[in-house]
Amino acid sequence: MLDGQMYPFLADGDFEWNADRTEITFKIKSAAKWNDGTPVTAEDVAYTWATHVKYNTPTGSANTPYIENIEAVDAQTVVIKAKLGEDGKAVNPLLVEAYLSTNYVIQKAWTEVLEERVAGDPTALLADPAEDVAYSGAYGKYFADDTKVVYIRNEEYWGQDASMWGKLPAPKYLAHVIFKDNAAGTTALQAGEVDVSQQFNSNVQDFWLEQGLPISTYLPEAPYGIGASLPTAFFNLNSPGLDQAAVRKAIAIAVDYPTIIANAMTNQSATFDQVPRSLMNPTDGEQALYDHDAVADLQWAGNDIEGAKALLDEAGVVDSDGDGWREYNGEKLSYVATCPNGWSDWQAAIEVVAAAGKEIGIEITTNYPEWSVYQTVVTKSDAPLPEEGYDIFMMWSDGAGPTQPWGRIRKLLSSEFIGMPSNWNGNWGQYSNPDADALINAIPAETDEAKLKEMYTELVNIYLTEVPSFTLMYRPQSFHTVNESVWTNFPHADDGTNPPVPPLDLTDGWSIAGLYNLTLVNP
Amino acid sequence: MKSYLKYFLNKFGWFAITFVFAFLLNFILPRLMPGDPVAAIVARFAQGMSNTSGVQAIYEQYTELFGTDKPLLEQFFIYVRNVVRGDFGFSFSQYPRTVADVIRTSIWWTIALQFPAIIVGWIIGNTLGALAAYLKGGFDKILMPVSIFVSNFPAFGMAIILMVIFGVNLKWFPTSGGYGFDLIPNFSWDFIKSVIIHYQLPFWSIVIIAIGGQAIGMRSMSIYELNADYVKYSRFMGIKDSKIVGYVFRNAMLPQVTGLALSVGTMVGGALVAEIVFSYPGLGTTLLRAVLGQDYPLISASTLIITVMVLLANFIIEILYGFIDPRIKAAQSD
Amino acid sequence: MKHTIQQVFRSGKFVLGFSIFSAILLIVIFYPMFVKDSPLAILGQGTFFPPGIYVNVYDSMSSTAYTLNLPDAAAKRVANKLSEEDRLSIKEWLVAAGIPESEIDTTDTAKLLGQWSANFDPKKSIPGMTNARRNYFIRLNTSLKGLLSTEGATISQTNPETNELEQVDTVNQKDYVNVGEVANTRILLLGTDNFGRDILTELVAATRVSLQIGFVAGLIATLIGLTLGLLAGYIGGLIDDIIMFVTNLFTVIPTFVLLILISFSIGQEQRGAFTIAVVIGLTSWVWTARAVRSQVISLRNRDHVNLSKLSGHSIVHIILNDILPYIASYVIMALILQISSGILAEAGLSILGLGPRTTEVPTLGLMMNWAMIYQAHILGNWWAYLPVLVTIALITFSMNLMNTGLDQVFNPALRD
Repeated sequence: MLDGQMYPFLADGDFEWNADRTEITFKIKSAAKWNDGTPVTAEDVAYTWATHVKYNTPTGSANTPYIENIEAVDAQTVVIKAKLGEDGKAVNPLLVEAYLSTNYVIQKAWTEVLEERVAGDPTALLADPAEDVAYSGAYGKYFADDTKVVYIRNEEYWGQDASMWGKLPAPKYLAHVIFKDNAAGTTALQAGEVDVSQQFNSNVQDFWLEQGLPISTYLPEAPYGIGASLPTAFFNLNSPGLDQAAVRKAIAIAVDYPTIIANAMTNQSATFDQVPRSLMNPTDGEQALYDHDAVADLQWAGNDIEGAKALLDEAGVVDSDGDGWREYNGEKLSYVATCPNGWSDWQAAIEVVAAAGKEIGIEITTNYPEWSVYQTVVTKSDAPLPEEGYDIFMMWSDGAGPTQPWGRIRKLLSSEFIGMPSNWNGNWGQYSNPDADALINAIPAETDEAKLKEMYTELVNIYLTEVPSFTLMYRPQSFHTVNESVWTNFPHADDGTNPPVPPLDLTDGWSIAGLYNLTLVNP
Repeated sequence: MKSYLKYFLNKFGWFAITFVFAFLLNFILPRLMPGDPVAAIVARFAQGMSNTSGVQAIYEQYTELFGTDKPLLEQFFIYVRNVVRGDFGFSFSQYPRTVADVIRTSIWWTIALQFPAIIVGWIIGNTLGALAAYLKGGFDKILMPVSIFVSNFPAFGMAIILMVIFGVNLKWFPTSGGYGFDLIPNFSWDFIKSVIIHYQLPFWSIVIIAIGGQAIGMRSMSIYELNADYVKYSRFMGIKDSKIVGYVFRNAMLPQVTGLALSVGTMVGGALVAEIVFSYPGLGTTLLRAVLGQDYPLISASTLIITVMVLLANFIIEILYGFIDPRIKAAQSD
Repeated sequence: MKHTIQQVFRSGKFVLGFSIFSAILLIVIFYPMFVKDSPLAILGQGTFFPPGIYVNVYDSMSSTAYTLNLPDAAAKRVANKLSEEDRLSIKEWLVAAGIPESEIDTTDTAKLLGQWSANFDPKKSIPGMTNARRNYFIRLNTSLKGLLSTEGATISQTNPETNELEQVDTVNQKDYVNVGEVANTRILLLGTDNFGRDILTELVAATRVSLQIGFVAGLIATLIGLTLGLLAGYIGGLIDDIIMFVTNLFTVIPTFVLLILISFSIGQEQRGAFTIAVVIGLTSWVWTARAVRSQVISLRNRDHVNLSKLSGHSIVHIILNDILPYIASYVIMALILQISSGILAEAGLSILGLGPRTTEVPTLGLMMNWAMIYQAHILGNWWAYLPVLVTIALITFSMNLMNTGLDQVFNPALRD
């Protein structure tokens, strides 16, 4: 959920930690059923975990460092035992909690069928298309080919139970159409062939302003949606000159963010005036986690050419040979700013970053390798990044989720990822700060809210002072544009739902609640 | 006949050698591309994984599965052995789908789109070209520049303009996909109608350009033949005009038929742009996505299909010409 | 020679093609002398500004104000904010809010707006109304505020000493400025693109680069094709077999596929415009080679060639003196076609995102690609892609027209 809370769905009420925070207990709703009519049980939850461990699936290997075991106490009650550190405390309670909301429960009976089919071969198990999988959701597979996947409503769905919605979701079929590119998807949205679009539609306001179409977004005006992730420009900390915080910050404050947001994102991002930069995304829940006033002096609005020059002059990074470019240790500051080729909004943003360099006497050129090359270079964290072509480079950061903003901060600042040969987590610029590491390690176990706020504020302070990377724009979890030619009552801001239905594609997490609110425009 | 057998064997030999080299190139070229395709697959699984060993384990698992850590020569022999058995392996970018499965679902769209488009464009173009050559005058004066303009219009431009005019503005035809967004493939009238409607824009974007090119070619050939000595001679002999015209156009057709066979052979590559603009689920888009996703097995298999089609088309032409055209026989003997 | 040129210029097709092509060349050469802006400079904060004259608002306020009493000014002002469709929508709302239809007159602006402001409630939900419709009414409501006012607008500035807002000027509804007197105006004949760049300036620069790419690619392709075709055709035998084998290999793996593979492999960081041109040239010589070969085969047993052989001339001499002149016109035509298809190939590659590096120089294909990525064609921003398409089409059309004209001159059989 975008408010940072977890809402129980299969579970009956919230989960509970024991006093030592070493075990989580929760119950499965008695109404919950698989599509074959059998109840969803605690044993299914336990067996799902056991299977992940047994076959060492990505989920299994990702969670075994934090979860000791998952056990079924009775038919309904599940206990998750956290892995304990030497001090007898859970290694990371936050990641144990996150397991609850980021993994699917798989039916035990079906898993056993699958195991028999693949004769215990882990590769075959992972590669199995699972055509016959049992599901506990409201829809099951109806048809799939290269162009679309269609789901059909399960008329026996347990959501009809009085304890839930007491009815079935409105649409009988859900079709997920696969388009070759954004343009095709936009055209289909415009033609009314798509009800909910979760892709980037540039200049989305033209649909209603210029073309008068019944199309709307979550918010009626720019930024049209709520940002959840922070597309970020990382500095390669090993590049000469970029090891200096002054140089990093000078570049960051010289960049023209309003142009990035207006041109690259066509205004579909909050501006940094609206949401000052920090490590948090623009959702209210995360924004409340740090003290805005405490770091107000460290903020920058961008386009601050004079400030950047002053910062560089003060740090002694000046143009000593009169060629128009500044030098550090006698070497001209010359960088390459880069992102994957074809990632259009990022490319447009990187262009603006490069333009800022010229203004402050730092040469920045741009370069766009193919994604396949880019990712191989950027994720190789067991050696310093090659200087050539990767001085300032863009990558994503985590969106909204149960471990946020801690998870995002960890991936932006934690030095634990340095040394990974295939690093798909973060801190690709290889920044290392023991103070930040200590705070990141302490947060998961901290339960005192005032203390947490203090720690988060300190991390933002470090981030804005040291500038190991900087946010260029905000981006929603998924874009949410709806065409109300057929259905209406899609989630939108202040639509009166409580808890608010998030603007996702109505098939994921709590956003499926939106399916119950839909009504036909012309019944 | 003996000389024909020799001609046939000679041709066949060259085609066989070409095939072997092309096969080799189809294998090697994609694998010379920089980057690590396994890393991209790992990226799909590893997002959100925070422990080092887990990511590494996945990486090694897939490297082994796809055999990308083995020497290229060894990979090649494994590949040859599998292909001979008809097994093209897993697609990297669409794992766990197999290459055969991906191609099977896409190639029919390409053939269904391209084959009729080429034939229709060929027939209309040649008719117009022949008419222009025969009627001359005003018809020719208009047709010729229009044909030149149309045949040199960029293919994607034609596709986009058709889409903007007929799809976006007039809303006569849908703009993307192979069939209606609300339908499931079956043999109902609704589905067939939907396929036909979706077919129109990509179809005509190919046909219009093809018409232009064919018309120019046919017109030139026809004028050539109309001015040939045998025509003058026949006229002099008093043979009926309609009969002469029949001969003329039959002769003019010969090179055009070659062109037809060749364009049938190269249709997979040719459809790329129309398929992309209209999100048509054909082999062209599959190939492009394979290149961008560094999907070696899928690229190799797609190019192999193209290679085989082009080779076959060429081979058939050569063999038929050996039969039909006495001049080629003569050329063989000197 | 002179006679041939005269003949060429007597061909209507050639002259038309030549005129179009020269016009494009002249624009490409002379435009940058007058407009010295960098074609890649980002002018607009925002995307796809429509074509037109842009007048600085701030400067207009301080320019001399002229009072013009134009009778329909007020009506135009209202019509600009309140279209016929808006009036009907207002009526729809009022009816839904319970006003009897007989009391609503959509032609009486004052009354209609009075009813509207008395009844409109953004929170009110009308059955069957979509969210998009609700947003529309809220926007309409905002834009109608003060529409019927006859007062001027007040310009205020913050006094730096007192930090208070002070009125400095008023703008009356009948005030006009002369555009010529405003300090800052900018003509954007073709508007701006997704980066906020001036499209006309970019288009001219792109045309130049694309022509260069086409020329380099065409020259390389023709040179390779000519050399191989001459060798294969004249020498024959094993050399012919080998060259034809290589040529066949290139046919069997279609050029465009090869082009995609190579461009991808080079990587965007290496793909300058020149590199792309070379790659296109290296992959597109095949049909020239085949065509030249068959021409040479038909020539090699001619009497004058045999005579030359008997006279003991070297192969190079024979090729240069006895064969090349006879196929020269053919080669020139092939070159023109190669240049034109080189331009198309660059555009095609760029559309797929495999074109030259984006940020050094614009090319026609790149402009097209970016317009497509930012969905100009769907959103009706025709100025971002149509001029580019027209330019490409005009270049290829003019070159092929010239080619056809030449063809008719050199092949008298084709003359009408």
